[in-house]
Amino acid sequence: MIRQNNSRLQAIRDAVNQVHFNRFRFWFQLLAFALFVYGGYLAIDFGSRLPFFSCGYNQEGRAGVCYLLPLQHQLSQPWPRLFGFAGIAFLTGLLTFALWFIFLNKGWCGFVCPLGTIQDWLTALRRRMGIRYSSYSHTRFEQLTKVKYILLALMILIPLGIGGGLFSHSMSPPFCLICPARMILPLFTGDVTQFTIDFSSTAALVMTALGISVTALFLVGSFVKKRFFCFFCPMSALHYLISKPALLKLKKDGDKCTRCGDCYTVCDMGIREIADDVTTKNIMTDDCTLCLKCVASCPENGALKATFAGIPIFESTEAGFIKRMNKGNKM
Amino acid sequence: MENETSKIVPILPVPYSRSRQAGEAQDMLDHIVEDFQDNPQSMQYFYDLFRSVYCHGDEVKHEGKLVGTTCIHAPEELIYAFGATPVRLCNGSYHYDQKGADFMPAKSCSLVKATLGMLNSDNVIPKIGKPDLIVNPTTCDQKKKSSVMMEGMGYSVYDLELPNVKESEAARVYWQRSVRQFAVRLRELTGKKLTRKNLQAAMAKTSRAQVAFRKLHNFRLKSPSLILGKDAFLVTNAYFFDDIERWTDAVEKLNEELAQREQSGFKAVQSKAPRVLFTGSPPIFPNLKLPLLIEEAGGVVVTDETCSSNRMLYDMTAVDEWLVHDMVDSLADKYLKPCTCPIFTRNDDRIRRLLDLVKSYGVDGVVYQAFAGCQVYEMEYRSVADAFNKAGIAMLYVETDYSVDDKGQLSTRIEAFLESLKNRKKHKG
Repeated sequence: MIRQNNSRLQAIRDAVNQVHFNRFRFWFQLLAFALFVYGGYLAIDFGSRLPFFSCGYNQEGRAGVCYLLPLQHQLSQPWPRLFGFAGIAFLTGLLTFALWFIFLNKGWCGFVCPLGTIQDWLTALRRRMGIRYSSYSHTRFEQLTKVKYILLALMILIPLGIGGGLFSHSMSPPFCLICPARMILPLFTGDVTQFTIDFSSTAALVMTALGISVTALFLVGSFVKKRFFCFFCPMSALHYLISKPALLKLKKDGDKCTRCGDCYTVCDMGIREIADDVTTKNIMTDDCTLCLKCVASCPENGALKATFAGIPIFESTEAGFIKRMNKGNKM
Repeated sequence: MENETSKIVPILPVPYSRSRQAGEAQDMLDHIVEDFQDNPQSMQYFYDLFRSVYCHGDEVKHEGKLVGTTCIHAPEELIYAFGATPVRLCNGSYHYDQKGADFMPAKSCSLVKATLGMLNSDNVIPKIGKPDLIVNPTTCDQKKKSSVMMEGMGYSVYDLELPNVKESEAARVYWQRSVRQFAVRLRELTGKKLTRKNLQAAMAKTSRAQVAFRKLHNFRLKSPSLILGKDAFLVTNAYFFDDIERWTDAVEKLNEELAQREQSGFKAVQSKAPRVLFTGSPPIFPNLKLPLLIEEAGGVVVTDETCSSNRMLYDMTAVDEWLVHDMVDSLADKYLKPCTCPIFTRNDDRIRRLLDLVKSYGVDGVVYQAFAGCQVYEMEYRSVADAFNKAGIAMLYVETDYSVDDKGQLSTRIEAFLESLKNRKKHKG
């Protein structure tokens, strides 16, 4: 009986490991996109502590709000209030955010984030047109990978400065004003009002003009480079800082790795460690979006796996690789 | 009456099949086939193939231009994509080894000498015809210096530039560029264009062969073994010159037979037979001396880490976007990154690969073959031996060449080694 159950479990595992991963992920992302961009019309509300860009400016359609919006608002309160009773609200907010985050780890980026999904669609469009993607050289990668931490620091310091009266209120919330999601996601519910430049003050003028430029950059950038924006995303930096206790994890067994680089080849973010690092067990880096394409493209049994609370849920297998990578051969 | 002795008796040329060269192949093949009972029936294809090509000197047919390769680093998918046929020129014949001695210093690798000897002979066996182009990846020094010699023999040679270091990003970029340039050279040669379609079809061809190889490789995990190593080496050696699709069909047939063997609980060897991992300089027919000695002495080669077998066919290509550029870059990655060739500066990957094979294949001992004069394998011996020492795995280091003179001495050493493995096994058990 136990053996029968085991073999049934193994059969399920095999089926999962051999899934047509890209297709699965495409549909998952599409559903998540629909849910978080249009869910509001069905009165779905997951609160305002979500660990991905379910943009609050998409007022009608959103099914919840990205945590970065309330975070910056909370931080820009006058200091006496922030370091007084409002501090408790801030801490509970952070805790709720962390609880959401812990569930999927950076999987929120690779599977749920609507802005991430839009980038994947732009990538698909480029691929269909037969245009080649570009990528950073390794040295450039090493430099640019730090940008997200700088943005994260600014995203915390500027609101604090606003609260302390150092900066103008019209700069609040600073990151949202330059975030491409603020302009792009409301478009999907027919709201074009974010595409304006605010001339009310110099600060507002600068921020909104910057916002439009970043959005233009986003559209061009994600067309030529896979997951262009994620590389600079301060949410991604924040994720990484608290990723230790997360339930979904990307694990690597270095002994089984041949360093063939198949995972590196398919990585949207261009993370080299995924192929070359054979000692780290917990292989998710700060740039990772946990899209799990690396697991799907690894030909070595069990070299890469995604685990949830320690239980393997998706594992690299030879059979899965052969099924997925054999264009032109029917197997 | 004329003096009869004054008549000149012409020495008639001996037909190839009766030459000493054919005899060398014949002798090896006889041992491979007849010294063992229960050879898989589907191995007959390979026995016949080698008999026809090496013993009778029959012609090996091919389509399109013929591109000779001197190393596994030449991307065969690209060659197929241009409608040409790759053939691996690395040779294992002692006859050619002696012929090629003129080209190289006394203490040089038999493989390189044999390849040069073959290319320089009037009667090239396997009878593939004159290659339209020889691709010589810049790997070890002896191969590098062969380029000019091959050119001197009248071949057109392309140096495919391979970096000495494989870890750095600079090396990766350099190699990707090399491979792209190689594609340009192939376009000049064939007058065809590289398209998404023909590259994809070529990759599918190789990939199907690799899948068949991997399946065979997986059958060898079984203990007691279902198939002997000498047969497995013969199979992968055939990949050098055989038609890839016919080869894949034959391996798939062999795999079917092995699946049946597995179901019926068949044992190709005794359960106590020591399981051996073969590494180092590549065994290439007819020089299957060492693997054969191991199996004649009661051991079984269950897996290997050599460029005439595992390293040639194991690693598969992953592509993210099936566009020409991405496919070519992915191919380049596959030919560089996982390669455990000793010509690279450092070789942690080879050691890790060996340890993993020992673990997953339940290996009792390792045989390390280094061709006398193959400096890179000789130099890597120390680090590999240290790693095995640390892991408590027995290893026999054999320095040899293509001659049969040391057969007696080797067989004594191998018997002693296998005996010690059996004893270790007994004590462990």
